[in-house]
Amino acid sequence: MNALVLAAEEAKSPLFPDGWEMLITFIGFVILLFIAFKFIVPAFEKVYKDRADAIEGGLAKAKAAQAEAKAARDEYNQQLESARLEAQKIREEARSEGEKILADFKDRANLESARITENAHKAIEAERAAAVVSLRDEVGTLATQLASKIVGESLNDDDRANRVVDRFLADLDAEQGRTGAAR
Amino acid sequence: MNPALRIPAEFVAPSTEDAHLPPFFELGSLAFGKQSLLILLSVVLIAGFFMFVIRRRAMVPSKGQYVGEMGYGLVRNHLGRDIIGEKDFRPYVPLLFSFFFFILVNNLFGSIPLLQLPTLSHPGSAYVLAAIAYVVWVGVGIKRHGLGHFMVKMTMPPDVPKVLYVILIPLEFLSNMIIRPVTHALRVFATMFAGHMAIMVAAAFMAYLATEVGGVLGIAGSAFGLVLGLFIYFLEVLIQILQAYIFTLLFAVYVQGALQEGH
Amino acid sequence: MEGSLSVIGYGLAAIGGGIGVGLIFAAYMQSVARQPESQRVIQPMLFMGFAVVEALAILGFVLALL
Repeated sequence: MNALVLAAEEAKSPLFPDGWEMLITFIGFVILLFIAFKFIVPAFEKVYKDRADAIEGGLAKAKAAQAEAKAARDEYNQQLESARLEAQKIREEARSEGEKILADFKDRANLESARITENAHKAIEAERAAAVVSLRDEVGTLATQLASKIVGESLNDDDRANRVVDRFLADLDAEQGRTGAAR
Repeated sequence: MNPALRIPAEFVAPSTEDAHLPPFFELGSLAFGKQSLLILLSVVLIAGFFMFVIRRRAMVPSKGQYVGEMGYGLVRNHLGRDIIGEKDFRPYVPLLFSFFFFILVNNLFGSIPLLQLPTLSHPGSAYVLAAIAYVVWVGVGIKRHGLGHFMVKMTMPPDVPKVLYVILIPLEFLSNMIIRPVTHALRVFATMFAGHMAIMVAAAFMAYLATEVGGVLGIAGSAFGLVLGLFIYFLEVLIQILQAYIFTLLFAVYVQGALQEGH
Repeated sequence: MEGSLSVIGYGLAAIGGGIGVGLIFAAYMQSVARQPESQRVIQPMLFMGFAVVEALAILGFVLALL
């Protein structure tokens, strides 16, 4: 220890600072602090801020896009719904129209069929009347021929024969009318 | 190693004086040595590196910018935001940044071959840095609370029986206002100095065994010294980084304590 | 081998500081392991206490070198 103290005339304690070193350290540190304050920190902070802004901006953009997509989907859904409603309406209309047409046709068909039936009835009636008339003639002729064959030449006179036949048929009619009234 | 360090026949451990090399040149009392050169070099290195990596201010960082951002983010977020607090850490970021990287680079000079001198193992530099830190945090506290209130904050811990203040006020004053800056400076100086000495001793030991003792035993002992020296070397790297971190962290804690509201 | 006595004294003084710092960090780790969310509150206090305890060891170093 003594030797050290003696040597301390020349060599100082390691705890003793050198003034110039202190000054240079101070100047160096202040320069560094100035550069950090003026350039480095603002640059890094700007990058941080830009990045944060970019992320936030991206989020906002994504949100907007999502909202837009949602709106578009809503609109689409609405359109779809209205289209569906319209289709239903059209179908409904078509069905009622079809029913109406069907009913119409049915009516017309009924009318037609009634008319045809009536016509047919009339035709049949007429046919029948015609048949009755022709039958009457035929039967008259046949019966006359038959009768003339039975009674011979005396009955060749047409006028007489006709009168006989007419009388016979009138009798027949009268008898028929009687039985019809009785029935 | 100091080329002036001669290995005598009898082993003499390197003394504390060997940490100081002769200056490169002298102008009057100004002795401009390796230490001063390294300090200026560190300023150039730090400023150059960070200005270079951030030159493009790219949103998507390149590799260099990513490294720079990691370093900057460590100081800004971990030391600044987490300790000083979200509200008022921003003004202190440049100071924290300068402290951390200035001390880190200067310490790491001690582990770089050829440079091999942790600048803070010269006490003047450590004193200056701690003095700057001291002035800043005391100034911030006085500005925030006023001198009287700040002194009350520093010397009178709350929720203590009144009688105890007789003992506590001098004790707290000594601890907070005097011991604090002194230890702040000496912590980094002492670890750098001691680490530097340890490596010097290991190297001297190795050289002595190899050259003066010689023989199989000397070489084997020298190899042992090499292993020991390497171990100390890597421990030193760890401590150098850690000390830069702790210095800045303590500065942040002091600022936070000075800014803190209450009592 | 001059000055060794003061260095031995420093070695003895460092024991206290070493134990103290060890205790502080052990307690810190335990409390953070129990309540991880308390980390941010405790961390400044941790370094405060660490600095105060280590101050003793550093003062010892200074006295050894003087």
